[in-house]
Amino acid sequence: MSSYNLDVYMPVAILMIVAALLVVGALLVGHFIRPHNPTKLKYDAYECGEAPEGSAWSHFNIRFYVVGLIFIIFDVESALMFPVAAVFKKMNEIGRGGLVLVEILIFLSVLISGIAYCWRKGDLDWVKSYQAPKE
Amino acid sequence: MNDSIVSFLSEFAIYKAFVASVSAKIGFDATSLLTFVVFFIAVLLVVNVMALIGGLGTYAERKISADLQARQGPNRVGPYGILQFLADGVKMITKEDIIPRMSDKFLFIVAPLLCMVGVFATLAVLPFASGLMLTDLNIGVFYMLGVSSLVGVGIFLGGYASNSKWSMLGGMRGAAQIISYEIPVTLSILAIVVLSGGLSMKTLVEGQLGVPWGWNIFHNPFTFIGFFVFFIGALAESNRAPFDLPEAESELVSGYHTEYTGMRFAFFALAEYVEVFVLCGLAAALFLGGYLVPFNLGKGLPLLEQFLQLGSFVTKTLLLYYVVIWVRWTLPRLRVDQLMTLCWKYLTPIALFNLIGCSFWMYFFEGKSLWVLLFKSGAKVAAGHH
Amino acid sequence: MFTNILFLMSAVLTVGGAFAVILTKNIMHACVYLLSSLLGVAGLYVTLGADFVAATQLVVYVGGIVILMVFAVLLTGGSDAQKENKFGLSKIPLMGNNKTYTIAWITAFVVFMTLIKIISNIIKYYKETEVSAYTATVEKIGMLLVTDHVLAFEISSVLLLGALVGAAVIARPRKRE
Repeated sequence: MSSYNLDVYMPVAILMIVAALLVVGALLVGHFIRPHNPTKLKYDAYECGEAPEGSAWSHFNIRFYVVGLIFIIFDVESALMFPVAAVFKKMNEIGRGGLVLVEILIFLSVLISGIAYCWRKGDLDWVKSYQAPKE
Repeated sequence: MNDSIVSFLSEFAIYKAFVASVSAKIGFDATSLLTFVVFFIAVLLVVNVMALIGGLGTYAERKISADLQARQGPNRVGPYGILQFLADGVKMITKEDIIPRMSDKFLFIVAPLLCMVGVFATLAVLPFASGLMLTDLNIGVFYMLGVSSLVGVGIFLGGYASNSKWSMLGGMRGAAQIISYEIPVTLSILAIVVLSGGLSMKTLVEGQLGVPWGWNIFHNPFTFIGFFVFFIGALAESNRAPFDLPEAESELVSGYHTEYTGMRFAFFALAEYVEVFVLCGLAAALFLGGYLVPFNLGKGLPLLEQFLQLGSFVTKTLLLYYVVIWVRWTLPRLRVDQLMTLCWKYLTPIALFNLIGCSFWMYFFEGKSLWVLLFKSGAKVAAGHH
Repeated sequence: MFTNILFLMSAVLTVGGAFAVILTKNIMHACVYLLSSLLGVAGLYVTLGADFVAATQLVVYVGGIVILMVFAVLLTGGSDAQKENKFGLSKIPLMGNNKTYTIAWITAFVVFMTLIKIISNIIKYYKETEVSAYTATVEKIGMLLVTDHVLAFEISSVLLLGALVGAAVIARPRKRE
């Protein structure tokens, strides 16, 4: 467990700031060399040449949210698995590899049963249109 | 772990002497100040090179697609049209900036910013060469996964902020696609982490050999499948065809970036091309041996070694980049329900199966690759006979 | 030196984002300010030497929870719904009426006094010690998760299963028979 200096995080901070400055800077440069001729038509939303009609929000498929929920569960699961996976090799060398293997299998099997349940109950199906008439 | 380009430079006597002389001049210890300066210059270099790669990526895409479609592609601006991306850049900057009246102005401006920050922050841990990585964080690959999810938020907000039906639909599909395909990608990376025993990019790369049969892709059958799962997931994460439904040209006009003009659109496009490069670089590092040079050529001569390693990494990444462009112009686009079915019903179970398989392999064969098992142990047996 | 700068930037992001979440009237903007606040918290974790927790924060919160929140806002027709009813009166209640404000102020006062009590204890018994060196935490967490805290590790998977099934059941669309 080597110790480190917090300076290793400097490129992270610098990169984020430089990226933000790049965006702001390019827009600023453009601000001075861009034309600015606002007409009413330009500022309407684009709808293939027709006048835009109705609000942009319409009934959205509830599947988006279910997918998001399942994703969060798997995300947390992978976040928990990462340290265990990183330490598997070391434990293998000590000789306790079997223990870690069994733990990983139990962990994964619980989650696999979860996704199997969602699969069987049709939560993973993507309904093509929520309002589609029954055929 | 936790090396960085500064720790690599610190091994040279010239750098140490330089730091000492600057410290003598200023009066206090100049190590951290010079660390900052070195990092800053390195970051500027990397950002410029990446922007160049992003621009050349557009050119390469047009030329390769032209080649695949038996036509010429850009060949007017500069020799063989190579300066086309500069002309495009100038065009984008000089376009009028239109923010739609009904849009959410704050989110409209923030969305490309989030995409750019998310993609450029992943460059901090990309393993260009063993000494030239910007930094080798302990949590390297996990950090990369975390930061690249900012792109998903950016795409979604871009679609929402435009307040147009096409954009909103494109944005939602884009976000759903990105978060769904993050699962097989993460699970494939987990399989490699199990085999390599660490999260830092250096550990993951140096668990392999430079020669092709020492690469992780040929380590065991599970990682072989894992490479393809990762590659497909990476294609989907960066909204590249055949997964480019969020920006589907024939359906949604231009999806989540319909209403973006000029430079703002250029940021989305640049973020996408750089993200493809980063994901190809990650695939090369995890599965294809990263920056390792076959037979460790150049070992002992630091500068030559770094140069060769950089060349190795860039070659592999650009080869994968070519494959990405090739796939785009070959395969038709997937429908949204096919996309979700592919992710949740095919890739995720396969990736889980890979992870379990790699865990078993790690336990039973102590993480030795197929080649080591087949040939090295065979040699031992042969030696034992004599 | 860089620790201080990083801490300052993260603190500004966190607190600024948090204030902006409360003070804005647009719920989508509030989600973006929450994103910046969570990024700041990740930075704070880094200054404390908890690099793995910082990355987990990025992956789970920034990459997942914020997207989920934005989905939820959008799917319930959040900020795009009609803002005025047919009499021209604003439909969005202004953050509550007098009763809400009174209860809020009392609650804030109680929480504030509790926090002051806790913090004063810390300040009274704080000893100036050496800042311990930053070490890699991933391996330590991994070791603990497979040896001492195995039960927590496995039970968390059961908890996640419960969350998954519950979410799937609740979010299932009602069958239109």
